[in-house]
Amino acid sequence: MSGAVQTGLAASARVRRAPRDPLIAVLVGLCLAAAIGLVLGRPAPYLVNAVGQLAAFAILAVSLDLIWGYLGILSLGHGLFFAIGGYVCAMHLLAHGTVVTGTLPDFVQFMSWKGLPAYWAGLEHAPYALLLALGLAGLVAFLFGLVAFRSRVNGVYFSIISQALVYVAMLLMYRNDTGLGGNNGMTGFPLLFGWPMGSAGAVTGLAVAALLALAAVLAGTRLLVGSALGRRMLACRDDETRLRTLGYATTRLKLQVWCLSAMIAALAGILYVPQVGIINPRVLAPDLSIEIAVWVAIGGMGRLGGAVIGAVLVNALKFWLSAAMPEAWPFLLSGLVLLVVLVLPNGLLDLAGLRLRPTWARGAR
Amino acid sequence: MSALVVDGLTVAFGRFRALDALSLAVDPGEVRAVIGPNGAGKTTLLDVISGITKPVSGRVMLGDRLDLTRISEAAIARAGVRRKFQKPSVFPALTVRENLAIGCGPELAPGLRAERIAAVLGEVGLNPRAAVPAGALAHGEKQWLEIGMVLAAEPRLLLLDEPVAGLSDAETRRTAELIGRLRRPDRAILVIEHDMGFVEAIADKVTVLHEGRTLYEGGMRGAREDARVIEVFLGR
Amino acid sequence: MNRVRAVLAALAMLALPALPAAAAPLERAALAADLCGDAAAQARGAEGVVRAAADASAEDLRAAGHLLAALAERRLACGSAGALLLDRAGAPDGQDALTGATRPAAEARAPVLGLRQRALVETARAAVALLTAESVAARAAGLTTLERRAGAVPDAVLERARDAESDPGLRASIAGAAQAAALSSADPEKRRTAVAAVAAAPSGASLARLRALRGEPAAASDPAFARALDAGIASVERAVRIGDGLAILYNALSFASILFMAAVGLAIIFGLMGVINLAQGEFIMLGAYATWGVQEAFRHVAPGLLDLYLIAAIPVAFGATALVGIAVEALVLRHLYRRPLMSLLATWAVSLFLVNLVRVAVGTQNLQFAMPPYVSGGVPLYADFVVTWNRLFAILFAAATLALTLVVLRRTPLGLDIRAVTQNRDMAACLGLPTRRIDRLAFGLGSGLAGLAGVALCPIYSVNPGMGSGFVIDAFMVVVLGGVGSLAGTLVAALGIGGANVLIEPLSGAVAAKVIVLVGIILFLQRRPEGLFAARRRR
Repeated sequence: MSGAVQTGLAASARVRRAPRDPLIAVLVGLCLAAAIGLVLGRPAPYLVNAVGQLAAFAILAVSLDLIWGYLGILSLGHGLFFAIGGYVCAMHLLAHGTVVTGTLPDFVQFMSWKGLPAYWAGLEHAPYALLLALGLAGLVAFLFGLVAFRSRVNGVYFSIISQALVYVAMLLMYRNDTGLGGNNGMTGFPLLFGWPMGSAGAVTGLAVAALLALAAVLAGTRLLVGSALGRRMLACRDDETRLRTLGYATTRLKLQVWCLSAMIAALAGILYVPQVGIINPRVLAPDLSIEIAVWVAIGGMGRLGGAVIGAVLVNALKFWLSAAMPEAWPFLLSGLVLLVVLVLPNGLLDLAGLRLRPTWARGAR
Repeated sequence: MSALVVDGLTVAFGRFRALDALSLAVDPGEVRAVIGPNGAGKTTLLDVISGITKPVSGRVMLGDRLDLTRISEAAIARAGVRRKFQKPSVFPALTVRENLAIGCGPELAPGLRAERIAAVLGEVGLNPRAAVPAGALAHGEKQWLEIGMVLAAEPRLLLLDEPVAGLSDAETRRTAELIGRLRRPDRAILVIEHDMGFVEAIADKVTVLHEGRTLYEGGMRGAREDARVIEVFLGR
Repeated sequence: MNRVRAVLAALAMLALPALPAAAAPLERAALAADLCGDAAAQARGAEGVVRAAADASAEDLRAAGHLLAALAERRLACGSAGALLLDRAGAPDGQDALTGATRPAAEARAPVLGLRQRALVETARAAVALLTAESVAARAAGLTTLERRAGAVPDAVLERARDAESDPGLRASIAGAAQAAALSSADPEKRRTAVAAVAAAPSGASLARLRALRGEPAAASDPAFARALDAGIASVERAVRIGDGLAILYNALSFASILFMAAVGLAIIFGLMGVINLAQGEFIMLGAYATWGVQEAFRHVAPGLLDLYLIAAIPVAFGATALVGIAVEALVLRHLYRRPLMSLLATWAVSLFLVNLVRVAVGTQNLQFAMPPYVSGGVPLYADFVVTWNRLFAILFAAATLALTLVVLRRTPLGLDIRAVTQNRDMAACLGLPTRRIDRLAFGLGSGLAGLAGVALCPIYSVNPGMGSGFVIDAFMVVVLGGVGSLAGTLVAALGIGGANVLIEPLSGAVAAKVIVLVGIILFLQRRPEGLFAARRRR
């Protein structure tokens, strides 16, 4: 018996030490190398900017894969959390600019208000803005998740209701009286921590920040899914009732991961908005939220690395094709989705022969 | 004191009454078999005890104090109730060992877990398969793994839903022996089964359900001689 | 001092229309001279035409109309030899206003109209048009102008026009206007009867008219009239409120009908296969485009029967979308029944493909539809409540769809199969039902129903490639609320959500309505989560 215990311990230690996903290590390394390359190599600003945006999208994709691939919850409303991060970031940039330059943002003048709305107070301080963005995303996710998970809203139901949520949020933000720019959104950010927004330093700094954040998010989520909690997530994904009848409060488990995922999505929004210089209610369009899921599915759902690859590939292709052949892009995207869904159920990673775990080990979704 | 008391339990799906004011009591240390034709309400009874289905009326008392109809599945499990499902329910993406670790429940101290897992692995004979993902196991192995998962928590009430369905005769015999070993004075076992030989081998008492009600309760021998039981069930 | 005199003169002029209409004959020479004169003279001339309009001969009116039109369009040339009518502004010669002889316009000047005089001239031209114009449209346009200046028109003019009018619709409108004009009549008795008459035909416009009267001196000086006016306003207010309420209910019913048609196909497919077809909105769009195709075919092949195209489109739209649905099922969804979340993405890809295909093939602009008589216009029922035919068409269409669906599900072998598979797929398969074929046909049925919704939408919505995008979310809310696999539930939920949307909208806006409905549904899920799971899971 004691022998069995020892081999058991050794085996479990080996499982924990063995890198089940070398892809993650490769991607984290690539992120760090790219960050160093951007700082030392000083490529053209548009390229730096593109890399930074792709990194932000990759973070967003990882946030979705965390709950879809590992917990079986497909959110078609993750654009909401991305937008919360983005909007709070835009508010910070405008408030900061107002404090430094003394001129009010365009949309405030457009509404002929005397100053920024009262609830903007304090947003010029970056730490508070960061806290507010993550806290607000977490709070919204918590309230929605609590209601949905307690009612055992699952599967397709959850997906569509989360889509309805982002749709309603879009309608709300299109109104001009919210104090958040209405349908024009917010743009014209003058400064980033006192630097002029378009300067090479600011562009590189943002891209590097996005790459480092992606590396950190990848490493952190990899640790999470490799932990005991991660195994419970997989168990919950594959058979929630079973897990519950073994004594686990699955509602709490789902709520924790769901809120974490929302906050990672908000982080992606925070990093994205200063790089594109604008946020408006179109980020809340239901189609955009579905596209996030499409990136993950194309890259390979249930694999954090797959999410990153999918987000980068699809968006790089989109950057290029929207300029070269805008008419062709939607056809290509829909074709790609159907191809992946029908032929490559584990995404492009299948194609690349990177199937490190057999199909049944990833659940049948 | 009884280990489990089911009192006036009624479950309705629309107009259909799956359980109709059902009552039964199981003593600590007892192995009770629940038999009956298809649709008699056997699995529904287990669904109510494990909290998956909420009844229209009635109570399910665990150890005379805790009403299981008022708490969640997870809370019921933490109170010491474990269920083995009819269809083997294991987590395919996790290894046998990881399945058993989850089977230990959220409350077992991590230090005690390895020892418990090792003991259970030996008990169900899956030691050589410990690092294999459960999705790759054969049907019989999955049945054993699931039994191991519910044992890992050392339950005081064990619910077994057709534990030998689809098993070979040898495996059935081994399962009967295992259940014999699982008997403890502080543990009650409730088994649902179609296999009469198996029931006769393991059960102290049988309850015969028919259309959501108790038709007969007592020894297996008595059941074989009861006219009503013969009519609805055995005599088919 | 001068200013006082000017004010007095203006007051005198304002008072003029209120005087009893003198039966002044219409002197062409005097009118021509007035119109060539200064601002006061022009005003006098125009007002003279209006006053005389009740009695003057049609010929005189027409001549006056020509003069007024020429003045308004700067084709009136005034010289020492009298007024000239030019063919176009600045022409070298024209016809003499009185004799019709052609004369050069060398030394003549074209008088300019002031803003106030222009309004008076337009009123006069409108009066002439109402009484003498050839076409119904021109007479109706004249009436519209006169209604805007109700106080300036003697009631006798409108009464004459009413008696002479041949078009029944316009005649009723003129009668209404005459009544309104009588409200400002100088005769108190006439005024009171007019109030009673207006109150008997309540509408938002009549309410505004009565309310405007309350501030006028007549109401202050004549207590009997003021009492009659207040009573009239109170009764019209009540009627308008009831009428508005009816209109809201009617809108709610028509919105619910659209929702029901969008949701019923979704409900059948979801109940049967657990698949949400995110392309359902695009199937609705395809149905609308099929309708347009039928219309174009009628235009080319049988233009005489164009009015029937909407009816002919019903089977075409159903068949076309059903075929597309069956193709989607066979090519895509068949492989995804065990992966419902992936089927969401797949159907989204289908919708993206369809929208862009239509965009490239037909274009992004809104399609133009001919409106047959049975979907244009409406009948005013009570106060401002008008039963519009296009919405009634949608409501009746939804009722017919409901009946058709019920018949298919309850009375046909396919319906029996669908119900059997919906309730217990494994058992149905064991009994030898070809569940795959049933899935395909049911998917075709559900898609075809979406196509029918597209037909019903053509007379109401703007039809373009993106029209389907909002439907799936609302339709799915209907399915959730109604419970899966229950046609009655779908109907009740469509009525509930449609009603809630339309009822909340006027109170707190369209966005708030959507938010409240969504929150309501989520709270409903809190209270009745089991309503979600029509089929309970057994292990």
